[in-house]
Amino acid sequence: MNLIPWKNKSVEEAARGVGPMSTLRADMDRLFENFVREPFGAIDWPFGGAAGWSPAVDLAETDAEYTVRAELPGLEPGDLDISVTENRLMLSGEKKEKTERTEKGVYHSESRYGSFCRSIPLPGAIDSSNVNAEFKNGVLTVHLAKSPENTPKRIEVKVAEG
Amino acid sequence: MLDQQTNVSEQSPSCEETRSDRCYRPNVDILEKENELYLVADVPGALADKIDVDFADGVLTVHAPVEPASDDGRRYLVREFGKGDYRRSFRVSEQIDPSGITAEFVDGVLTLHLPKAESVKPRKIAVRAS
Repeated sequence: MNLIPWKNKSVEEAARGVGPMSTLRADMDRLFENFVREPFGAIDWPFGGAAGWSPAVDLAETDAEYTVRAELPGLEPGDLDISVTENRLMLSGEKKEKTERTEKGVYHSESRYGSFCRSIPLPGAIDSSNVNAEFKNGVLTVHLAKSPENTPKRIEVKVAEG
Repeated sequence: MLDQQTNVSEQSPSCEETRSDRCYRPNVDILEKENELYLVADVPGALADKIDVDFADGVLTVHAPVEPASDDGRRYLVREFGKGDYRRSFRVSEQIDPSGITAEFVDGVLTLHLPKAESVKPRKIAVRAS
């Protein structure tokens, strides 16, 4: 038996990572982290709302292209809709539940289902005719070639004569 | 942590693990059918042929390695998901038949089927009229 004063109990629980206080705390942490990471982006409201979900996304660049990767487990390429403008990539789709949920019971549920839409601003112009996407094992990779004006050019410094 | 009735509950490692690479805890759903429980885990990016489902001492462990990072010359501008293997363990009660556990992997989702032991399956008893 643990002798923990009642008023300290939730703190103890939170510290051990169990109990409703800890769940709330994790939600708050996630909300705060998302806000810090993407202050003007879509806020992924937690607290288990039916507001849909938002896949995790990576954006990387090389000299020639931008690469966007998104974690989309359980989607099929046909469920995905990808469109581009000159400086924006839009991903939308729907994660369908493949399993019958009504049959007997759901004991534990952490996955999010339903439709999502995510608009990813790109830092520079792209060549929208040169975009290709591949989907493998639940990860979408989109390669977006930079427009020629946007690719860095090496400028050689000539030594002035005289 | 999970409902006692589920027959499957999360198991934290009994000793401290010494692992240098990062591990991620996949999201799972646990559902029940008449003859089985099944567990659906999101493991995007996992390599189908490297997934390891292991059952020992009543603990079911899922380990799903992902493709090693090849970030040649790439500079990250936004990074929301890290790369690392997925690992999670569950304690399975005796009401599950461990020899019948099967797994499948489609589009980044791993599904484990945990058949119920014969003794706990619902059985219909026919009433004979005398």
